[in-house]
Amino acid sequence: MSAKKIQELKPLLAERMKKLLPDKNDFSSFLEILKKPTQNSIRVNKLKISSEELKFRLEKKGWTINQPFKNHPEIMIIENELSPGELGRSLEHLFGYYYVQEIASMLPVLTLKPKHHEAILDLCAAPGSKTTQIASEMKNTGTIIANDVNIGRISILAANLERCGVSDAIITRKQGFEFCRKLKEHGFSFDKVLLDAPCSGEGTLRSSPATYLMWNIKSIKNLSNIQKSLIKSAIELLKPNGELVYSTCTHAPEENEEVIDFALKKFENIKIESVKLPVKCREGVANWENKTYVSDVKKSCRIYPQDNNTEGFFLAKLRKVK
Amino acid sequence: MAIKILAEQEKAWIEKQLNEQFGIKKIPGKIAMIGKEKLFFFTGEFEDIKIRKLEQIAPVEKIGCYFAKIIGDNIKLTIEGTQRLKEQITTGVFEINEQQAEEWMKGRELNLKTELRGFVAIKHNADFLGCGKASENKITNFIPKSRRLKNREK
Repeated sequence: MSAKKIQELKPLLAERMKKLLPDKNDFSSFLEILKKPTQNSIRVNKLKISSEELKFRLEKKGWTINQPFKNHPEIMIIENELSPGELGRSLEHLFGYYYVQEIASMLPVLTLKPKHHEAILDLCAAPGSKTTQIASEMKNTGTIIANDVNIGRISILAANLERCGVSDAIITRKQGFEFCRKLKEHGFSFDKVLLDAPCSGEGTLRSSPATYLMWNIKSIKNLSNIQKSLIKSAIELLKPNGELVYSTCTHAPEENEEVIDFALKKFENIKIESVKLPVKCREGVANWENKTYVSDVKKSCRIYPQDNNTEGFFLAKLRKVK
Repeated sequence: MAIKILAEQEKAWIEKQLNEQFGIKKIPGKIAMIGKEKLFFFTGEFEDIKIRKLEQIAPVEKIGCYFAKIIGDNIKLTIEGTQRLKEQITTGVFEINEQQAEEWMKGRELNLKTELRGFVAIKHNADFLGCGKASENKITNFIPKSRRLKNREK
């Protein structure tokens, strides 16, 4: 059975999404947008070219460029209808002048706000979209530790970092919580940590229809436990006043607010901060299936595909206050 | 993977060689070496001792950006090497036209006569496209498969 032909949510997923989107029209909009392809979005690699110059070059090719966010000219949408894979085949892509990236996936780094000379840990870094974005913001200063566990995914990460000219990163291969534990033992600490956690991918239904088939509730519970272990070990690496951005591409509260709730309860010195982004965000859910989370989880940000014509995403920003 | 951060003296040899071949004067940051040939820019700010500690904790798969390869007594720059050092590249440059650039990015050698010999930086307009090796009748292509232009419909 081809995943591309599957366009219906499994009944339990549909039921859960209805609970998250109780307004009937809202839920219908959600279902409608899942049928549409995602926009052709790219991010300019500021390490190699300016937004103005790339825009000029792409327009010369006949592409119509839309820069939807005034303060982020590096984020571009190609309005033309492109053939499959065309974005990845252009000379400008091969030169590393841009990265093909869904807009929702750019939001965690906009939240992290990397600064020059910071030490940043990107714990689940492959395939490298966010690592290259961090390096671009840091102008190749500071140090990024880009870790992942899977050797195949690390090859893709390494290729993407090379194509984008990232020279301030060290790529490591280790299971996330084990890596954090060892880093702590050896006295490492970071200004910022990005934990873009492995997740059930409910937010990627538009671009990855296989998720319709693969989704199951059991994996959500398992992933939730993994995510809690990861966030616990990652928080322990933060310098005083350090920040951690937690993100997933799923809507499941067990993988999102429940993980943040766990972190806030586990660590007295960790506070959640509100997130300001150039897209519509909805607040986190504080009640889910007979569980009540600390009310501060409402400061998390839920991105639904129907709100901004993107994929679905979740993110939260935590700070170590003492 | 054995990673060596080159000492200042070793870095100076690389810079001297790159100066002779391309007029390059200074490499930014540190140079890391993996194996006996591959050179990486590392502009990260972890000290050597921290990098060594990191190697004890987890396999370090890569450090910095691959920019050059030592081949005998010469150095071949990668696409990133030529792009990053383009402001400093003053000699050993071969400029190509649009049609040649497309052929080059498809991984094809350029069959043409040139006065240049050895590794040359390939340039098209403002873009640097890595290095080729010039001999009497051709320039040999080193564009890796993953960076090649696939045949496109016009």
